[in-house]
Amino acid sequence: MPLLRRSSVNSKEKLRKLADEELMERVADCDADAFEVVLERHADAAFSLAYRICGRRSVAEDIAQESFLALWRSGERYDRARGSVRTWTLGIVHNRAIDALRRSGTHDRRRASDEGIEETLEASERTEDQAVENAVSSEIRGALGELPSDQRKVIELAYFGGFTHTEIASMLDTPVGTVKGRMRLGLQKLRSQLQGWQAVGG
Amino acid sequence: MNPREAESNCEHREDAAAYVLGALEHDEHERFREHLTGCALCRAEVGELQPVVDELPASVLHASAPKEMRERILATVRSEAELLGAAGIGADRPAKAARPWYRRNDFALGVAAAASAGLAALVAVLIAVGGSSHTKVVPGEGLGTARTAKVSLTRRDGHSELVVRRMPQPALGRIYEVWLKRGTGEPKPTNALFSVTNHGSGAVDVPNLHGIREVLVTSEPAGGSLHPTTEPVIRVALGTA
Repeated sequence: MPLLRRSSVNSKEKLRKLADEELMERVADCDADAFEVVLERHADAAFSLAYRICGRRSVAEDIAQESFLALWRSGERYDRARGSVRTWTLGIVHNRAIDALRRSGTHDRRRASDEGIEETLEASERTEDQAVENAVSSEIRGALGELPSDQRKVIELAYFGGFTHTEIASMLDTPVGTVKGRMRLGLQKLRSQLQGWQAVGG
Repeated sequence: MNPREAESNCEHREDAAAYVLGALEHDEHERFREHLTGCALCRAEVGELQPVVDELPASVLHASAPKEMRERILATVRSEAELLGAAGIGADRPAKAARPWYRRNDFALGVAAAASAGLAALVAVLIAVGGSSHTKVVPGEGLGTARTAKVSLTRRDGHSELVVRRMPQPALGRIYEVWLKRGTGEPKPTNALFSVTNHGSGAVDVPNLHGIREVLVTSEPAGGSLHPTTEPVIRVALGTA
């Protein structure tokens, strides 16, 4: 009966050698094994992002779960020209997490933008070794940390806290134009850093 | 400002960073998105800044996704893969329209008719998903213009979601509406209205199904109807919910 189910170990190993984009072509054809490989690759990142934003394990689980089911159900809409599977997946997670955060009230949103993941994760849940192995991850954290605090603040309030620029302006008692300018300057500096690493790495 | 200056400067350019961070107000966001279609300068700005925002998730320290969460996801996915992959559910069912379909006494017998056509396993059986005691995926059937649609209803912890694939888009000015039917009575309208993508995919949350025997979908005028105005295009038989 399961027409599209490929459950042998061999086929799973073959799937693991495929690029995300090739896997998504199979996901669009209801290939659950291909989806499982996508899940293997990105579940940690999705859960981590949801946890970072929401700060509660149960909420983060729900968001990551619903995001992956949305990915599964809309797999045929994935367009590789619009970005990587990872970016697409984490975009879904981010949108859902911010929606949940906005429903939860200002206090949680402020916490999400104020706290680093260090404060939201229990020690036993940290897998810092993975992060250390991920040079890009640590570099981006470092680059964020090196931004002037007023630029980092507005980026974190917006991205991790889900605040709009007018809310941030009110919160910081700063003109809207200044907030937008800080966002732009901060992102441009991060971009310069990213390009520098790519030049070094590539 | 002369055209050359206009090309090198745009009053909306400052909005690009807030746009890629999702920090514009809703109406501003929509206006800026429209503006992007006609402003190469802002498109270039967004093109430069969006990849930076796409990297921000990497700034988060990694935590391992719970094993139970992965298992729940895979259990649901495998069940839906089997159901959505099954072909020919309810195809070519003959339809009569002498009376409104929801007033016909024999409507509730549709499941039995389907069983006689050899479709019982797909139509009438609740399939419990392994790996999660709270998740069930119930197969549905496409009817009429949607007879080639693949339909499933996922139920988990009191939450239900109707998922369709290969579903035709509703006609212009119309929308799909979900109805809930108890026993032989007239189906009750819900606020679950949905459309589908160009590829025929769609999903909609379905209200509380306690005591509901059938979930139905009809094509209705935009905004929905209080009584069905067309024949169902989707039916999910729940048996005893």
